[in-house]
Amino acid sequence: MAENDLFNHPQPDLESELDRIFAAYREACPAPEPSPNFMPLLWEKIEARRSVSYSFGRLTRAFITAAAAICLLLVVLQSTSRTQPAFYTQTYIEALAASASDSSPYTEISLYELPGGDTYQ
Amino acid sequence: MLVDAKLIERARGGDDAAFNELVLAYRRRVLGAIARLIGRREDVEDVGQQVFLRLYLSLEQLRTPDVFEPWLYRLTVNAAYDYLRKQRRRGELRMADLSESAVQMADAAAGGVQRREESDRTRTREYVQSLLASVSEADRALLILKEVEGLSLKELEQIYHVNENALKVRLFRARQRVLKALASQRADAGKAGGRE
Repeated sequence: MAENDLFNHPQPDLESELDRIFAAYREACPAPEPSPNFMPLLWEKIEARRSVSYSFGRLTRAFITAAAAICLLLVVLQSTSRTQPAFYTQTYIEALAASASDSSPYTEISLYELPGGDTYQ
Repeated sequence: MLVDAKLIERARGGDDAAFNELVLAYRRRVLGAIARLIGRREDVEDVGQQVFLRLYLSLEQLRTPDVFEPWLYRLTVNAAYDYLRKQRRRGELRMADLSESAVQMADAAAGGVQRREESDRTRTREYVQSLLASVSEADRALLILKEVEGLSLKELEQIYHVNENALKVRLFRARQRVLKALASQRADAGKAGGRE
């Protein structure tokens, strides 16, 4: 197709002209011949991406392992430190009951049986 | 399809030799489509390598070899979009660059006939690119795939995952805009001719 006809077409039949223009564009943009470096460069890029993915994968695995180890350590620490806390946790009633059960001379309770069967404290 | 479905399956399974064969079979078609989509011949190979790199990384997600070609076209169109977006961000004047590269290519051509042919092609490319500037990047790609690459509506449906009617509407509107741009260029050329 003569390129000059494309630009100097006198007939304003735009629809068919546009089709001709697209056909001319197709001819003007032939598929370029790939250079000899195309495949080596492509594989270089693939290898580079693979190594990045591999390093990232290793880093991720290391991070997951470390996180799992820390979790395990925390669980062990939690289970071993289940002793009585150092601070006071009893209620007032519990404290009274505990002190009542002590064999202290001040809190000793004596029960006397009265003749009528009643008890006297 | 340019290759056997078994070759695609092998490549999908991680066979590098099969992938290599796949690239060798499709690279000319892909490079041709990219050349028409981006309009800059010096960057075509780079964008083409991006397409095949993305193909390599995503091939295992391909459901069936039957949809391999639309899949590859989709990757091609996306890589071309990304390239054009980057160019726009850099604020480069694409047409000016195209002219410069064309001049270089024309200079490199040994004979006068070759130079003239290349100059004609460059004019055509620049002219069509200026017409297509009247539509969005997405519509430009769609028009090129339909009108220049010659893909059918069925194939475009598979590439864009859009139903046929919606595609027809988009194509019609894009074509109308290009026709309007063509008419206005013709009118301008007529006025300029009348003044001379």
